[in-house]
Amino acid sequence: MIHSRKLESDSPYLTDESKLSGAADMLFIPDDEEDVVKIVVSHNSSKTPLTISAMRTGVCGGCVPKEGDIVSMEKFNKIIGIGKDDKGYFIRTQAAVTVKDLNEIIRKKLYSELQNITDDAIECILSERTDYFYPVDPTELNGSIGGNISTNASGPRTYKYGPTRDWVRRIRIILSDGNVLDILRGEIKAKNRVFSIPVDGKNITVHIPSYEFNRDVKNTTGLMTGPDMDLIDLFIGSEGMFGIITEADIYITEWHPLMSNIIFFPSDDNAYNFVKEFVNSHIDPEFIEFFDTGSLNLIRKSKKNDPKFTKMPDIPDYAGSAIFFDISNDENIVSKYNELSQIAKIYGGSLDHSWCGHELKDRERFFAFRHSVPQTIFEYVASLKGSMPGMHKMGTDMSVPLDHLDEMIDSYSEVLTSKKLEYVIFGHIGNGHLHVEIILKSMDDLSKAKKAYRTLALRSIELGGSPSAEHGIGKIKSEYIELLYGKQGVEDIKKTKRELDPNWIFCPGNVVE
Amino acid sequence: MKYVILVKQVPDTTRIKVDENGNLIRQGVPSILDPYCEYALDMVCRIRKPEDSVIVVSMGPPQAKESIFRCLELGANEAYLLSDKAFAGADVFATSRTLTAFIRKFAADYDLIFCGKQAADGDTAEVPAETAAMLNVQQFCYSENIIISDTIKVTQNYNDEIRVCTVPKGSVLSVSIGDINRRVPSISDHIKALNIEIKTLDRIALGLGMYSVGIKGSKTKIESSYSPRYEHSGKIIDGTDPSEAAKLLIKEVL
Ligand SMILES: Cc1cc2nc3c(=O)[nH]c(=O)nc-3n(C[C@H](O)[C@H](O)[C@H](O)COP(=O)(O)OP(=O)(O)OC[C@H]3O[C@@H](n4cnc5c(N)ncnc54)[C@H](O)[C@@H]3O)c2cc1C
Repeated sequence: MIHSRKLESDSPYLTDESKLSGAADMLFIPDDEEDVVKIVVSHNSSKTPLTISAMRTGVCGGCVPKEGDIVSMEKFNKIIGIGKDDKGYFIRTQAAVTVKDLNEIIRKKLYSELQNITDDAIECILSERTDYFYPVDPTELNGSIGGNISTNASGPRTYKYGPTRDWVRRIRIILSDGNVLDILRGEIKAKNRVFSIPVDGKNITVHIPSYEFNRDVKNTTGLMTGPDMDLIDLFIGSEGMFGIITEADIYITEWHPLMSNIIFFPSDDNAYNFVKEFVNSHIDPEFIEFFDTGSLNLIRKSKKNDPKFTKMPDIPDYAGSAIFFDISNDENIVSKYNELSQIAKIYGGSLDHSWCGHELKDRERFFAFRHSVPQTIFEYVASLKGSMPGMHKMGTDMSVPLDHLDEMIDSYSEVLTSKKLEYVIFGHIGNGHLHVEIILKSMDDLSKAKKAYRTLALRSIELGGSPSAEHGIGKIKSEYIELLYGKQGVEDIKKTKRELDPNWIFCPGNVVE
Repeated sequence: MKYVILVKQVPDTTRIKVDENGNLIRQGVPSILDPYCEYALDMVCRIRKPEDSVIVVSMGPPQAKESIFRCLELGANEAYLLSDKAFAGADVFATSRTLTAFIRKFAADYDLIFCGKQAADGDTAEVPAETAAMLNVQQFCYSENIIISDTIKVTQNYNDEIRVCTVPKGSVLSVSIGDINRRVPSISDHIKALNIEIKTLDRIALGLGMYSVGIKGSKTKIESSYSPRYEHSGKIIDGTDPSEAAKLLIKEVL
């Protein structure tokens, strides 16, 4: 059954975590794939824009409509089954299952009510001695699998395990004419940058943009490209431009006991320099995350107001920055810690000035501590909306090769300080991918921040990086497509879009105008 | 001073769900050091002097070593696991008898014994008192604060009554509150703990007979155990479509 209603102007469906405000007439909530097809066919025939929405945790306004209607996938929240192929076990899920729910099912092995997608997969996985987990852990666990695929989300562990893309086996997607495309990785490849996609007895020809897609850094700027790329990779990271994902197969992998660690340093510089040696050590961390002085002060302040804020002890007074990382909790841990101690010492750190934890309960606290920085900023920006309705979050999401991180950090400080903007830096330092969040205080700050952001985006490109490493482009960052790929790149993406969605119904405004 | 802390590993009760028959769903629920035991450990670590010794002891299956290890990370310097198949199914009486045997044989020269006020899984809150009775020493349950100078003073909170008492050496204290922000060990603390052996003692080592321990040595016979069920008379209406939901609601109410 299709649930539908008219949208009020203050409906939560008209915004996401970017706090960008949108406009739309109707909200449609389908129960099943048949409903989705009906909604799409009717919108395609009337050429009415249809913005796809899931859990609305996106930070670039991807699910925020400009006009037309919204289709919310929220009822597609069931995990379907388990299968196994040469690459290992995979979970078949509907698109709106959250990362949190997926993790929970795997951790608790709640498989008995699921279907066997391949013969005896459930029996097989239950008889395994090892536990399993889904290694792509975007910090926001309330995001959906469909949203993660559409934005090619990544997280701290991308350092070791890659982004969502690397873990998607299959997707089911409803195209603009209502046809259902079931794409299994490896089945359809491009030839000389052209796909020939069999749909409903015909073949649709789709051209891949001519630009080179940078895979040396974390990158979600625009569509992925490649001369003989897999069709599934065109859809992953396409931000709802080409159709509605209803279902996906997601690989999981063997879990091993982990130790979470936070090591404190006197200053930001100490921590940056420590990381440069850390990545070349034998320690093999699962991820490396950074907190600058400003981020630690933000947590200190929130904790003063609410002692239970992070459920962690107070941050020691001597801490001016911190590095957070997980390592495998195995028989080699002491030798890894010895090596760590040597490196940390050089930069004013010490194993005495650290926290570590291995019980799940503790490790979750470490992650809550990490999440508390962006969370505090999101809440702060939301609190400004009342007095400044046009306000939205301004955080950078730029990656550069690790060798150029110093230069990028210098640019952050030069550009933002010259504009008298207050900011904090935290995030995935191991991937050369730091988030710089600007603490906006006025609308004037917002316009200064936008200009600064453009300068910084150009700088990241100059240094061989990407202006959008994990959050995607959505509606907030579409100008970066031209910055990175030029006018031709924009035209190429538009061409691909027209070939798959001739009436331009899906998510207009996402990625390209 | 020599402190002995009696600790227990329990399932993380914040993650346990109850099925429709009132049975606990324990599958996939991790085990942790009982939070009240951790408060007791915290209290000792705050008052101890560097030369004092802090001994932790736990009766439990081999996996309870993980929780004992956490105690070592957080400051204990000696550890024992009392583990034997025969200990299974022990009630308050058999548990206290086993712990008492350990104290008499391996830590008789202790100064104070600390416990959590109750274990988060069993919730009887009787092991501290029973152990004190068996050792024939005084008990100070629900302790919240301890001050050691020439004398030892403890504040006990019974909710309707607060007592400040002088504690003779040899007493058993149970601790009821602590910092909810669990302490976190440093990496150095972790490495130090890895170098301390957790000694395992079985029934024979404690000098106990088959009929003194576990289910055979227990006086409590459990006929059945279940979580109380609360009947909810409320009804949930799907709110996906508010106008449809409102119609259903009006139908229900009128
Ligand atoms: C505090 C916080 C921390 C975050 N941390 C991270 C992080 O570490 N890494 C990261 O990558 N992101 C992060 N995000 C961003 C966000 O969680 C991700 O972008 C996530 O993938 C969005 O999922 P969603 O279900 O909320 O999608 P939405 O926000 O609802 O939509 C996102 C985009 O996907 C499209 N879409 C959604 N579902 C479908 C579908 N079924 N078919 C086709 N298109 C669809 C939408 O049209 C839109 O363009 C964070 C957000 C917050 C608030």
